Amino acid sequence: MPSVSEAVTADAGLWVIEPRQHSAFARIRELWSYRYLWWYFASITVTQLYRRSALGWLWLVLRVAGPIGLNAIVFGDMLDQAQKVDRVPYFLFFLCGMATWVLFERSLLFITRSVERNRRLVTRVYFPRLILPVSAVAPGLVYLAIILVVLAATIVVFHQRDGVWYVSWTPRLLVSAGAIVASLLFAIAVGLWTSVLQARYRDVRYALRYVTPFWFLLTPVIYPLSEISERYRWLVALNPMAPIVEAFKWGTLGEGIFPTVPAVISLVLVVLTMFTGMWFFNREEAASVDKL
Amino acid sequence: MKSLFVEGVSKRYWIPRADAETPRVESRLDRMRRALALPLTREILNARELWALRDASFDVEQGTVLGIIGSNGAGKSTLLKIIAKVIAPTAGRIRGRGRVVSLLELGAGFDDEATALENIYMNAAINGIPRAVAQRRLDDIVTFAEIRDHLNTPLQFFSSGMYLRLAFSVAINMEPSLLLADEILAVGDLAFQERCLQKVRELARETGLTVLFVSHDMEAVSRICDRVLWLKEGVVHRDGIPEEVVTEYQNAAWDMLASAPGYKGSSHAAKYGEILDVKLVAMDGREIGSPPRSEDVHVRIRFRTRRAKARVRCAIDLMSKGVLVFRSAQPELLPVAAETAYEALVRIPANLLSETNYTVNVSIMLLRGEEEEHALVVNKALAFLVYGEEGVSADDGRHRKGVVNPTLEWTLQTEPDAVRV
Repeated sequence: MPSVSEAVTADAGLWVIEPRQHSAFARIRELWSYRYLWWYFASITVTQLYRRSALGWLWLVLRVAGPIGLNAIVFGDMLDQAQKVDRVPYFLFFLCGMATWVLFERSLLFITRSVERNRRLVTRVYFPRLILPVSAVAPGLVYLAIILVVLAATIVVFHQRDGVWYVSWTPRLLVSAGAIVASLLFAIAVGLWTSVLQARYRDVRYALRYVTPFWFLLTPVIYPLSEISERYRWLVALNPMAPIVEAFKWGTLGEGIFPTVPAVISLVLVVLTMFTGMWFFNREEAASVDKL
Repeated sequence: MKSLFVEGVSKRYWIPRADAETPRVESRLDRMRRALALPLTREILNARELWALRDASFDVEQGTVLGIIGSNGAGKSTLLKIIAKVIAPTAGRIRGRGRVVSLLELGAGFDDEATALENIYMNAAINGIPRAVAQRRLDDIVTFAEIRDHLNTPLQFFSSGMYLRLAFSVAINMEPSLLLADEILAVGDLAFQERCLQKVRELARETGLTVLFVSHDMEAVSRICDRVLWLKEGVVHRDGIPEEVVTEYQNAAWDMLASAPGYKGSSHAAKYGEILDVKLVAMDGREIGSPPRSEDVHVRIRFRTRRAKARVRCAIDLMSKGVLVFRSAQPELLPVAAETAYEALVRIPANLLSETNYTVNVSIMLLRGEEEEHALVVNKALAFLVYGEEGVSADDGRHRKGVVNPTLEWTLQTEPDAVRV
């Protein structure tokens, strides 16, 4: 068992505890040595969502399918052929918009609460705290997977009915994959800030509950970016989620315009938030434990 | 070889001022102001600093079982949490070697709804231990915890004893170099406590495991620790061999109790007499802190009488672990003069007491005439620890138990008329 002896000797070394925190880089290396813990936190966050319920994991599906079905009916009468956005049935358009948004929004919510939810553990056992926000993306990923399954099924159904593949079977799909990664990274980046703040001030979650619906409306999920008049486009450019959602739709459906400039700005913002978030989390995690 | 260096470690907390500190009688305006103040402003304006630990320095030789004692809030748990990396120190530095496993609180890192087996793996993961190591040690863990039949039972159905056994068993089987145990053994039954303590000693001896053991159980501390650290208000107050530090600690606890306001010692009886001091003295008259089991020892009570002549009867109650071991009193009343100091001696024979902690309550009965009777009482006038000749032997628990341990005579012979099977 080479991995075992390696881990043991790595542990057998000298260690130092000082008030000054280790660099973020040393922290990331530490994350790797605790890789066994990732899966545990990820799976427990997901299973806690339906523990002790009669329907079990079906709740995961219902939680996504419910709002999607409702939204689709309210905003787009799902099967009405007249309602099309850029020649694509509205329901399909809506599903594509929801994919990255749900991933982002759910992940951000779970990440924000991750440190607080595990305070019993955090105040008693040491492990790299960074595992908590990172593994809290699990529910978001499960929801994304469910949406993608529904999306695939819908594409097949529409193909049967209309004889048209609405999905673009081209390398453009890689852009969609990129959009998923980007929204995941952005959720973690923002979450690094909110999780630490939430540990101290429970206001954060309440505020987030209040902010996300507005953010949802400011993001072109239920409407295409092209609907926004030129005068307000710059506002969209400041919202990193807008080009991410738009890019996923562009990559999957092959319709609309690829928002190049906003996408670049978005990526810069994501990276910037990520680095400052790492710095903040690393600096403040110790102080936060004192206040939990 | 030293395995742990603690160098000038301090920890400061900012404590929001408790509501209890507001005046008890507050006007309606005060109450309104308090209700309307935003928590954030209240927190910032009212926070005061609290040094849980102040410039603590010590180092530990590998294979040592170090006991940490002190009253509540003395910084014991803070120190352990800093070494366990759960909280960060405000100042100072700690250097150590090898894997640290902590048992800071029962059930920390356990999930009630998962099975015992799942919890073993999870706990390993939380301690940064590869699954393979946990797998290799699984048999040892299960055997020591005695839960072989319940491996697939969710923890919520475990009794607190099983829970503790599992937690302890997992911790010691993670191949730690440093084990941090905070008051954990206070929960289990005596037999299991004993096994844990023996296991800790055995690992310390055989694998060079270093143990930091926080406990209020002075008996356990003096029995298993090689060295004791006494923390007082965040400062290392004493650091030395268990017998001395523990005895001193217990005497200090008694002093504090006696000087506390509201203590009903000899105050009302002071008109008639006063207990001056109560000490343990060896056969040669020298005052001692902790007597050896193998020697006779005296409890010496010094008292003085006040106004008038009286007759007195002195008595002691010997207590251990909250149990009255025995009461012994002078057989008859003896006359005493007024305004005189006396010294009463009671001899406790060798080979009677256990190797454990005792406290002594002293009472002196003063009789004047036929009716007037006054008592001078001092509870916990004395606390001491009896030690065995060979120090602490490993299997004492099996062969000698109880609050007293008289050395009795045993014989074993064949019984001529016994029915042979």
